[in-house]
Amino acid sequence: MKSTQALSIVLLSLLLTWAGQVALGYFQVGKLEPVLNEETNLREPPTPSGLAQTGARVFASEGCLECHSLSVRGPSGSADLTRGWGERRSVPRDYLFRESALVGFSRIGPDLSNIGNRIKEPKDLMMHLCNPRNLKPTSTCPPHPWLFEIKLAGPSHDWDSLPLPRKDWKQMIPTYQAKALVAYLQSLNLNYSLPEAPLK
Amino acid sequence: MTFPLPSQSKASNAAVVMITSSAIWGLLAAGLQTLSTIQLLLPILSYLAPLPVLNYGHLAPVVSFLLIYGWITSGLLGVLMILVPRFSGIPFRYGRLLTGGAILWQVGVLCGLTGILGEGGTGIPFLAFLRPVTCIFLVSFLVLGTGITRGLGGSWKSGPLLPRLYLLGALISFPLGLGTAELLLRGGTTPGAVQIIVQLVWASVLQHLWLTPLALVLVFQLIPAMTGRATSSLSLGVLAWITTLGLGGWLSNTLASEGPLPSWLQSAGVVATLLLFVGVLGNGILLQPLLEGKMEEIRRNVALRFMSVGAWSYLAAYGWLAFLALPGVRQTTIFTMTSNTTQTLLIFLFWGSILSGSVYALLPVSRNMGWPSHPALTWHFWFTSVGAAMMVSGYALAGIFQGLALNDAGVPIGTVASYLRPFLVVILIGQILWWVGQMAFSSLLFSSLLKLFPSTAPMAVFPSENAVSTNR
Repeated sequence: MKSTQALSIVLLSLLLTWAGQVALGYFQVGKLEPVLNEETNLREPPTPSGLAQTGARVFASEGCLECHSLSVRGPSGSADLTRGWGERRSVPRDYLFRESALVGFSRIGPDLSNIGNRIKEPKDLMMHLCNPRNLKPTSTCPPHPWLFEIKLAGPSHDWDSLPLPRKDWKQMIPTYQAKALVAYLQSLNLNYSLPEAPLK
Repeated sequence: MTFPLPSQSKASNAAVVMITSSAIWGLLAAGLQTLSTIQLLLPILSYLAPLPVLNYGHLAPVVSFLLIYGWITSGLLGVLMILVPRFSGIPFRYGRLLTGGAILWQVGVLCGLTGILGEGGTGIPFLAFLRPVTCIFLVSFLVLGTGITRGLGGSWKSGPLLPRLYLLGALISFPLGLGTAELLLRGGTTPGAVQIIVQLVWASVLQHLWLTPLALVLVFQLIPAMTGRATSSLSLGVLAWITTLGLGGWLSNTLASEGPLPSWLQSAGVVATLLLFVGVLGNGILLQPLLEGKMEEIRRNVALRFMSVGAWSYLAAYGWLAFLALPGVRQTTIFTMTSNTTQTLLIFLFWGSILSGSVYALLPVSRNMGWPSHPALTWHFWFTSVGAAMMVSGYALAGIFQGLALNDAGVPIGTVASYLRPFLVVILIGQILWWVGQMAFSSLLFSSLLKLFPSTAPMAVFPSENAVSTNR
C-alpha cells in the first residue's frame, strides 16, 4: 500500500465519521423548530431563562451528570415512564434551546428530565441541594453546602433563607449559583406535547 | 530486539518527561478514583466533610481526565517518541523543542486538573476541561505530533506497514477530532440536539481512533520484535485497519438508547460495533500465532507479559462492547456501570498494559539503564492485572444488577444504589491493588532513572530456571 493511498483512506474515514453523523444529523435534527401549542399559544419546548442557562453550567460543574441522566426512554423496553421520571420519552426537539446539551450516561440517581414537574417548590429543591437527607434520610446524593451562605438572622429570617431550624440566630441563604441551579432544575420538564412524542 | 539508532536519541529527554509524568498522573488518578469509590460506597463521608474539591461530582471527571490525558496519552506519546525514530530509521531533530512540547502537555494536564477540581467540569464527556487547556494540548501536539510523523517517513515500503498505518490514522484523528469537537461544542452556534451527536462522535474518536490505534502501533511493532515472529497476513491486517478507521468513530452511538439521538444513528452504532468486533477478531487472528507456544518467554519477560495481556484485553474490550450493543442487552445495561466496565477494560487492561509493556521494553534501550528489582516487576504485573480484573468483574456484575433493577419499576432507586455496595467493595479492593502495583512501577521507574540502585533486570527479563540453577 502506498502512503498516499493510506492517507486517502484515513481522510475519507474521518470525513465519513464526521460528515456522516454530524452533517446528516444536522439536517435531520438541527433544523427542528418549536411547536406552537394552540391551547396556550406558547411555543414548545419553552426557551429557558438566562438564569436557567447559567444554572445549566452550575449543574455541569457540580458534576450532577456523573449520577443523573437527562433522557427519558419509553414507552417500551424501559421502566422510565412507570417510575414517573417523565410523562413521555425525550426527543431531540426537547434539547432545542439548551445552550449546552447535557444528557448524562449514568443513573446512580434518578433521571432529572422532568424534575421541574416532579418537585415544583423551589424551596424543596434548595433544601435538597443543601442537604438531601433533609427531605429523604436515605439519600445517597452528596450535600452542596458551598452553594449557600450562613448569615446572621435579623429579627426575622430573610425571605429566601432555607426553612431549617437553627438555634444560633443564623440562617442559610442560597448563593446566586444555587438560585441559578434551581432555576435550571425547574426548567427541566417534559409536560408539553410534541408531534413526535405526545403526552400519554 | 535490535534497534539501529544510538541509545540516547534527541527525543530521549522529551520521552522521559512524558513517561515519568504519566506515572505520576496515573498514581494520582488511581488515588482519586479510590477516593471517589469510597464516597459511592459510604455516602455519609461526603456529609462529614462536605468540600467541593472532594465532591464525587468533581472527582469523577478529574479521574477520567487524568487517566486519559495524563496517564495514557502522555505515556503512549512518550514511548512512541522512543520507538518511532527506531522503526523509521530517521532520528529526531530539535530535541529541545520536543522537550518543550512534552512539558507543555504536562502544563495542560495540570491546568485541566486544577480547573476541574476548582471550578468543576463542563459536563461534556472527555472534554471536561476549559478551552485554554484544549489550546495548550493542540499546540503541544503540534510539536510532539510533528516529531512523531517521522515514523511515517523513510522506508514506507520496506519497514513494518501495520504500525505505520495505525500511527497515520491516530496522528490525524486526534487534532482534527479535538479541534472539531471544541469548535462545535463550545463555539455557541451548534443546536442543542446536534451537540449530543457531536459529543458521542468525539467520545468515539478519542477512544477508538486515537488511543486504540496508538496502542496498536506498539502491539504490531513490539510483539513481533519480542517474539521474533512476523505477522502472518498483511492483507488481513490492512482490512482490520480499514475497519477500525471506518467504524471506530460510530461506536459511542450505542450509549444512547431511544432518547435524544436519531434512531438511525443508534442503529448505525450497533452495526458499527458488531462489525468492528469482526475487524478486531481479524487482528486477533494475526496476534495469536505470534504468542502461541511462547508461555515460557511470556513468563520470563515482563514486557512481553504486559503486551500479551494488553493484546488479549483488546479483544475482550471490543467483544464486551459488541455484547453491550446487542439490542436486548443494550436496553437493560444502558446508563449503568457496564460502561465503567468498558472504560476499565480499555484504560487499565488494554491501553494501560500496552503502555507498561512498552515502557519496560523501550526505556532501557533509550536510556541505557535496567530495572533494579525483580520482585517489584512481579508485583507491578500481578497487582495491576489482578486489580484491573477485579474492577472489570465488579463493574460488570454491578452494571447488570443495576440494569435489571432499574428496568423494574417496583425497585426504588435507593434500593438500586444499595444493590451496588457489595460490588463496590470488590471494585475498591481492585483499585487499591492497582494503585499498589502502580506504586511499585513508579518506584522502579524513578529509582532506575536516578540510578539509585544497581540494575538487576536489564531488560525486565527474569533469568531462566536453567540459568538460575547453573548459577547456584
